Amino acid sequence: MEKRWSRQPLVLQGPTLTRRELLIGAGMVAGGLALGPLIAACGPSTTTGGTSTTPKKGGNFRLGVTGGGAKDMIDGQNIVTKPDQARLVATFETLLVYDEGYNLTNDGLAESVTQDAPDKWTIRLRQGITFHDGKTLSSDDVIYSFQRLFDPKAGLFGAAGLGSVDPNNITKMDARTVRLNLKRADSTIGDQLGQYYNGIVPVGYTRSGTQNGTGPYKVQSFNAGQQSVHVRNPNYWRSGQPYFDQVTIIDFPDPAAQVNALLAGQLDAITDIPFGQVDVVKGHSGLKVLESPGGGWLPLCMAIDMDPFTDVRVRQAFRLMANREQIVTQVLSGHGRVANDLYSPFDEGFASDLPQRHQDFAQAKSLLKAAGKDGMTVDLHTTDGAAGMVDVANVFAQQAKGAGVTVNVKNDPNYYGDQYLKLAFSVDFWGTRNYLPQVANGSIPTAPYNETHWPPANSNYLSLYRQTLGEVDKTKRIALKHQMQQLEYDQGGYIIPFFNDLVDAYSTKVSGFAVSKGTLNLDSFGHGFRTIWFS
Amino acid sequence: MASGPSGSASGTVSTLIPGGPPVTASPGIVRVRNPIWGFIVRRLLLGAFVLLLVSVVIFVATQALPGDTARAILGRTATPASLAALREQLHLNRPLVVQYLLWAGGLLHGDAGNSMAAQEPVTKLIADRIVNSGFLVLCSGLISIPLSILIGSYAALKRDRAFDVAASLTTLVFAALPEFVVGVTLVVLFATTVLHVLPAVSLIPPGGRPWEQPVAMILPTLTLVLAVTPYVARIMRASMIEVLESDYVEMARLKGLSEWIVIQRHALPNALGPAFQVIALNLAYLAGGVIVVEYVFNYAGIGGALRDAVSNRDLPVIQAVALLIAGLYVLLNLLADIATILVTPRLRTRL
Repeated sequence: MEKRWSRQPLVLQGPTLTRRELLIGAGMVAGGLALGPLIAACGPSTTTGGTSTTPKKGGNFRLGVTGGGAKDMIDGQNIVTKPDQARLVATFETLLVYDEGYNLTNDGLAESVTQDAPDKWTIRLRQGITFHDGKTLSSDDVIYSFQRLFDPKAGLFGAAGLGSVDPNNITKMDARTVRLNLKRADSTIGDQLGQYYNGIVPVGYTRSGTQNGTGPYKVQSFNAGQQSVHVRNPNYWRSGQPYFDQVTIIDFPDPAAQVNALLAGQLDAITDIPFGQVDVVKGHSGLKVLESPGGGWLPLCMAIDMDPFTDVRVRQAFRLMANREQIVTQVLSGHGRVANDLYSPFDEGFASDLPQRHQDFAQAKSLLKAAGKDGMTVDLHTTDGAAGMVDVANVFAQQAKGAGVTVNVKNDPNYYGDQYLKLAFSVDFWGTRNYLPQVANGSIPTAPYNETHWPPANSNYLSLYRQTLGEVDKTKRIALKHQMQQLEYDQGGYIIPFFNDLVDAYSTKVSGFAVSKGTLNLDSFGHGFRTIWFS
Repeated sequence: MASGPSGSASGTVSTLIPGGPPVTASPGIVRVRNPIWGFIVRRLLLGAFVLLLVSVVIFVATQALPGDTARAILGRTATPASLAALREQLHLNRPLVVQYLLWAGGLLHGDAGNSMAAQEPVTKLIADRIVNSGFLVLCSGLISIPLSILIGSYAALKRDRAFDVAASLTTLVFAALPEFVVGVTLVVLFATTVLHVLPAVSLIPPGGRPWEQPVAMILPTLTLVLAVTPYVARIMRASMIEVLESDYVEMARLKGLSEWIVIQRHALPNALGPAFQVIALNLAYLAGGVIVVEYVFNYAGIGGALRDAVSNRDLPVIQAVALLIAGLYVLLNLLADIATILVTPRLRTRL
């Protein structure tokens, strides 16, 4: 099945370092000393707003976030609400990190992460990083963090993307070096190590215990559904950072109240402005809108093994019924980009060369007629799970009439109960991920959220996936990813109308925010509140 | 406010107060073997029974909510393993009757249970919120009750004159406006757009007390005052007009008593009887109605806890808050009836 590689370590070096090589390359990451100044120089240069380019220390940064509630938590490896994301990235850090362009970099806790063989990865920790309680970060903490991800009692979802890791076969090479011996070849381990929810926690960490991370801020207080207060970590390893004395993260049930609080100067930044209020915020001289072209998407999911979508012609017809431009206008008020039924737009192998699908009723009707399904009726299930999920269903139902198809939208609060993943036609939501990690989460039989029941039984998609996972040569890997996407483009069950933008706002008193392709709001919350400051 | 409680109140009032004889002596509160104690005990027992019924209804209604608690809490991030772990932890696998009895048994021992979402004791979760909401209701009540009695009485005295017409018009307008609209309009006027003098949201830090931030209290209190005052003022006006036209007030005037004595000794106490009922219902309404105001101002009160608990199917929190509000209704109605009885000798003797 997979090609077994010789045991000798792969050392990829070269003067022109691209994403993957930067990650793997030993030359680039030889010493932590060389990286210090490099990173320090990176912070201010990415500034978009504000006037000051020299970061200043001090102040209490107040952030408003919607979507929280009594179920809020702080956990170095888990979130259930959006404010949880902000709290996590302020407190905990990952081995690798994504930059604003969604490129994986070794600007995290690891000075290098190397794929020595297709099924062997080595993690080398940076020297002198301490947890909030003063303990030095070591290999034991990394091993404990992996094992906690796989502990069924902890109920964490990071394990879904790390299926190839054997939690019982992680070797401590020395105090700062850890070797992952995989169950099978996997080239996506680096991607997983950069996911914000795969944070590194100290040995013995539990959610109910002390929140002891390596992050730029220590947790001072946390009240679920209300607010949390974070104070500067004086021993933070990145010199000069962070800049605020304190960060206060405040839950807002009502997005309108949150905008009001920003307008009245009671907050310094907020996530997710209601589209209707974007112009209000833009019209305010003291505020700025941060619109980031994210890779999040809301697919309409056709289960390929359920009536009426077992016939590929019906799936193709449905994809031709969508007017994607109109959906972007009506559902997102224009805050998004038209998509082409493919996901992971920032991936190295994203198949942007496949022709853009447009609405084509004539073709759709003839496909349906050929399938004997002309004039058909179908239920489309959705819920208020993420903003736009109901709207996109309604707009599509309206558009489907043009092809003579009746789509009945079922808005069901019980959707994510027992029906989810068992429906023929449904709406779901996804954040930004690279291609192979996304496939692991949603497009193979072992994926936890495979709405479309992809791939078909007779397809070679799965073997292509395994081959791609084990392929360390970038050019070959990209070619394989193209083959996989071609299959999904021709036969898949997703209708992906758009990638939505993240629309946030902040006060002009704050400098350092950058437009980011990351999955988290507000430039990944100002990279955990450490690359932003009061000017 | 379309759902305001005044309608049902006037119904109760008319049966309680058929005519309204004059009060000539101070009410006999300190009598030995006052029959009112028996009345209070009976009503308290009845109230306890009502609360029991309420708790059963809430339990059944929460079960009827679509979706499952563990799913609601974890959202889509749930994995089968994490769902199973949480269901086990929350005893969701046990039969419904067992779940209810576990909760009710705990309550009898003074334990309101743990919040399923926060996994903390309910009392810890809502104690501060009760203080916050209570203080907001108290401020609103302390301002709106005297204010509405003053407006209503004065409007009755100046019947059909300029003040009365203006007051009627204003109270009608505010009675018709939902608190939500009033609240948002106040925010636009005083915080975000027209003036920038008051905070748009009332951020009380956890552990902090609302009275430590009087400025943050102004807009929520004002919103509630504007929501409640019209009802009490209008019932007070109607009641006062009725009393002022009564025989005993005319008699008092014919006897040559000064108009001030007539009003404060004879008219006002009798007119207050019906108003007590409306005040009580409005105070109880405030306790529930703060939910909307708390939402608009991000005020950390029981309203927010209840809204959040419903979205999470967090039964112990829903039960605690709903029972609190129901208990307040029972208690305030009882107090209003006692007060009415005390100012109405004929009812007192019927006990």
